[in-house]
Amino acid sequence: MEEESGEELGLDRSTPKDFHFYHMDLYDSEDRPQLFPEENPRMRKEVVQAETANESTGAGDGKAQSDLREEVEELVHLYGLEDDHELGDEFVDENMPKMGVSEYPPYGMKRRDPAREQRDWRLSGEAAEAEDLGFGGWGSAGQCQDLREVYRYTHGRASEEYECYVIPEEEDEEEAADVFCVTCKTPIRAFQKVFDEHKEHEVIPLSEALESAKDEIHKNMYKLEKQIIDMENFANHLEEVFITVEENFGKQEQNFESHYNEILETLAQKYEEKIQALGEKKKERLEALYGQLVSCGENLDTCKELMETIEEMCHEEKVDFIKDAVAMADRLGKFLKTKTDVEISAQPDFEDQTLDFSDVEQLMDSINTIPAPSAPVINPQAPNSATGSSVRVCWSLYSDDTVESYQLSYRPVQDSSPGKDQAEFTVTIKETYCSVTDLVPNTQYEFWVTAHNRAGPSPSSERAVYVTAPSPPIIKTKEIRSCEEAVLICWESGNLNPVDSYTVELTQAESPEASGVTESVVGIPTCESLVQLQPGQSYIIYVRALNMGGPSVRSEPATVHTIGSYFRLNKDTCHPWLAISQDGLTIIRSERSTPRREPPPSDTRFTRCVAVMGNLIPVRGHHYWEVEVNEHLDYTVGVAFEDVPKQEDLGANCLSWCMRHTFASSRHKYEFLHNRTTPDIRITVPPKKIGILLDYENSKLSFFNVDLSQHLYTFSCQLHKFVHPCFSLEKPGCLKIHNGISMPKHVTFY
Amino acid sequence: MALKQISSNKCFGGLQKVFEHDSVELNCKMKFAVYLPPKAETGKCPALYWLSGLTCTEQNFISKSGYHQAASEHGLVVIAPDTSPRGCNIKGEDESWDFGTGAGFYVDATEDPWKTNYRMYSYVTEELPQLINANFPVDPQRTSIFGHSMGGHGALICALKNPGKYKSVSAFAPICNPVLCPWGKKAFSGYLGTDQSKWKAYDATHLVKSYPGSQLDILIDQGKDDQFLLDGQLLPDNFIAACTEKKIPVVFRLQEGYDHSYYFIATFITDHIRHHAKYLNA
Repeated sequence: MEEESGEELGLDRSTPKDFHFYHMDLYDSEDRPQLFPEENPRMRKEVVQAETANESTGAGDGKAQSDLREEVEELVHLYGLEDDHELGDEFVDENMPKMGVSEYPPYGMKRRDPAREQRDWRLSGEAAEAEDLGFGGWGSAGQCQDLREVYRYTHGRASEEYECYVIPEEEDEEEAADVFCVTCKTPIRAFQKVFDEHKEHEVIPLSEALESAKDEIHKNMYKLEKQIIDMENFANHLEEVFITVEENFGKQEQNFESHYNEILETLAQKYEEKIQALGEKKKERLEALYGQLVSCGENLDTCKELMETIEEMCHEEKVDFIKDAVAMADRLGKFLKTKTDVEISAQPDFEDQTLDFSDVEQLMDSINTIPAPSAPVINPQAPNSATGSSVRVCWSLYSDDTVESYQLSYRPVQDSSPGKDQAEFTVTIKETYCSVTDLVPNTQYEFWVTAHNRAGPSPSSERAVYVTAPSPPIIKTKEIRSCEEAVLICWESGNLNPVDSYTVELTQAESPEASGVTESVVGIPTCESLVQLQPGQSYIIYVRALNMGGPSVRSEPATVHTIGSYFRLNKDTCHPWLAISQDGLTIIRSERSTPRREPPPSDTRFTRCVAVMGNLIPVRGHHYWEVEVNEHLDYTVGVAFEDVPKQEDLGANCLSWCMRHTFASSRHKYEFLHNRTTPDIRITVPPKKIGILLDYENSKLSFFNVDLSQHLYTFSCQLHKFVHPCFSLEKPGCLKIHNGISMPKHVTFY
Repeated sequence: MALKQISSNKCFGGLQKVFEHDSVELNCKMKFAVYLPPKAETGKCPALYWLSGLTCTEQNFISKSGYHQAASEHGLVVIAPDTSPRGCNIKGEDESWDFGTGAGFYVDATEDPWKTNYRMYSYVTEELPQLINANFPVDPQRTSIFGHSMGGHGALICALKNPGKYKSVSAFAPICNPVLCPWGKKAFSGYLGTDQSKWKAYDATHLVKSYPGSQLDILIDQGKDDQFLLDGQLLPDNFIAACTEKKIPVVFRLQEGYDHSYYFIATFITDHIRHHAKYLNA
């Protein structure tokens, strides 16, 4: 009992505050039950249960305390009270020293905290009720007396402490402070400022001090909150670490267990094998010895029989003896000749038998090492991860594996010559990725990887095919055609193998690098692209080739000006008697070439009419170009459909519209030919430079004398398809084309 | 110099007006037509003078040629004067259609009784432009001239006699070499006397030969089925030959099937207006 009381005492000490909040006045009141007017039935029930429990255990004095405590805890749970410690402790206290109730000192502090008081009141009420009910089940009054003494003792101590604390507070209340002395950090009364030790001190109004104190508290609260969050995070982290540790050790245990079992199994198997082998050996030897023993016995019998026979013979008569003796001698001789085997066929001792434990040893060794890794999983190629000479290969491992390094092997994939073995390359790396360099552009490579650790290599991964990015395309700068609104750009792939697509990138050259806005046209399947542009600008154009691995580097740049229309002569259409200059803009018919024989008819090349076509961009809109001519030269300039009959003269069909100049007997003749007909037009000043305006929108083709800004003629023509500029020289001489020039203003009137 | 408005009709957003005034050069009341394009409401526009052919008044061109749409689009003020003084009571002025009334030939007469009134050259090159510049929103620096038949002759000589005064010139079936054609011989001998050397001052083909060479782009349309061409009244070949020799730029278009009428003019009037607009609006 003493010990148990001591235990309770300890509890009391640990929670003196809770204890203090009891409103002990209640305990003196006679009408306690009325304090719980709306006490719910559930509580009643529980209380009755507690009572019965107490009754049943009441007899066992020694056990009473511990039982009571259990009960209190149970009650606490049933009542669903938030602070079970508080109640629990109080409950126990109250149950024990029932008689000490009246001695509880009143505590002034309680009056200042009505809310708290309310709660405490309720708690103590409940506790009192429970205690009251439980009391009947208690043992002798003497025991209670003892308890009460113990209780009073603890209580007394606690009260003393409390009173020591409370007294100065009461003093404060008496003289209400109205200012705060900053120096002393204490509230004082205003008059104290005048004299006393606060005379020289800085004082502030109490409300101000209160505010700053509140601020301070709020700050601290904030700090505390932060600390709480930090601590919570830390706890979470610890929890994670905890789990990880658990997992890791679990894994290790599992690993060890499997190894251990393996070794045991191996040993058991060896044991079985050995036992069996030994048994067999034993049986074999015993059998051999037995056989020897049997034959030995037989020999002995024979010897004995011979001895007896000989003895019998000795007793016979002489004649008989002699006869028998001879026969016997023969027989004896024969018998003695038969070797008697007296060597022991089987040795009783063991041969030196060594057991082979090497495999077990190996297993034993490996029990402390890690298993060899499983095959890594090689990833398929990530888009845009390759360059022309390198690819980035990635793979992953199973998380359980311990890997010290990987070996990445590769070789080019070649469908064409499977017989020829391509060289394999292998690199060793620590990471689960590798940038493999020095590869051939736009080529497929086969990659596979193995993981290694002390235990050895893993099986090889699957083989993955990666492809290097293509080589940059090569822009055919001589085939670039442009107009005010667009450019037609052509390029060579630059790659032997096909690529997936091309991208055209263009930057306005006029705007300095600062802006450098790059427009891109992507997904171009062929080696040419018509790109819409703004008029009157300069563009720098690049092309990239793309495949699975990524884009190539940029091609060499090409510059395009969207001023006027720009084209070059199409050599494929050129009559053999004509020569085209390097820049593709001058047509020369020399004197010597004339006598040559007429070439065979062709669909693309002019064969009769000594002409050539230009490659105009296929864009509807306006196109203007100029042709420099000699005023005594016979020439024809105009436009024609691509499929214009190449054997006919220009203007001699409905697929071409031309201006023809002929100079004969010092007279200039100008014809504007379409379908062999021309209007009758006379021009007094022979043009030296002819301007040609092709206007798809208005279906017009106009000719001008550039130097005079003179309009010569305008065709109205139905251009259902795209036409190309055409030029012919009926006599030796040359024509020079000027294009990529802006349209003169006078031309805009037509 | 008071102007009297005879008529005003809205046309293609602008106004076709006819005015009457007392001409100092011609000593008679003269009518002229003027078309004010929509652009003239807000600013000065170029002036394009049209000279009509024999027998015409200011009415023929404005009612038959259909030039309004093109003039409206290009923003040109188009002035069409009458072809001769009227009501001067000169003996014999109404005797023939190709001399006298309606046949002023755009010369300043030097012979009696014509020299007081028949001063059409001065009228169309001096008096009328001053009147127009003073009363209408035109830019005097931007002036061109064109005409038909006798008016074509008038346009050519006005341009050739005043290098730089007109930005451009064009003509429909002009009388290119009046010195050598019956109409010209009759009119010039009547107005200028028998001294043929004086005639050359009003002959386009002869004027070309002495033209100092200020740039002039001449557009001429000629109907191929024009009876007067066949009669040798127009003689464009002489003019072309002279221009070719003197390198005066001419585009001469012989239009298949067309005659001398206003139907022919109406067909190509847009080309001519554009031809002038190209220089006037440059």
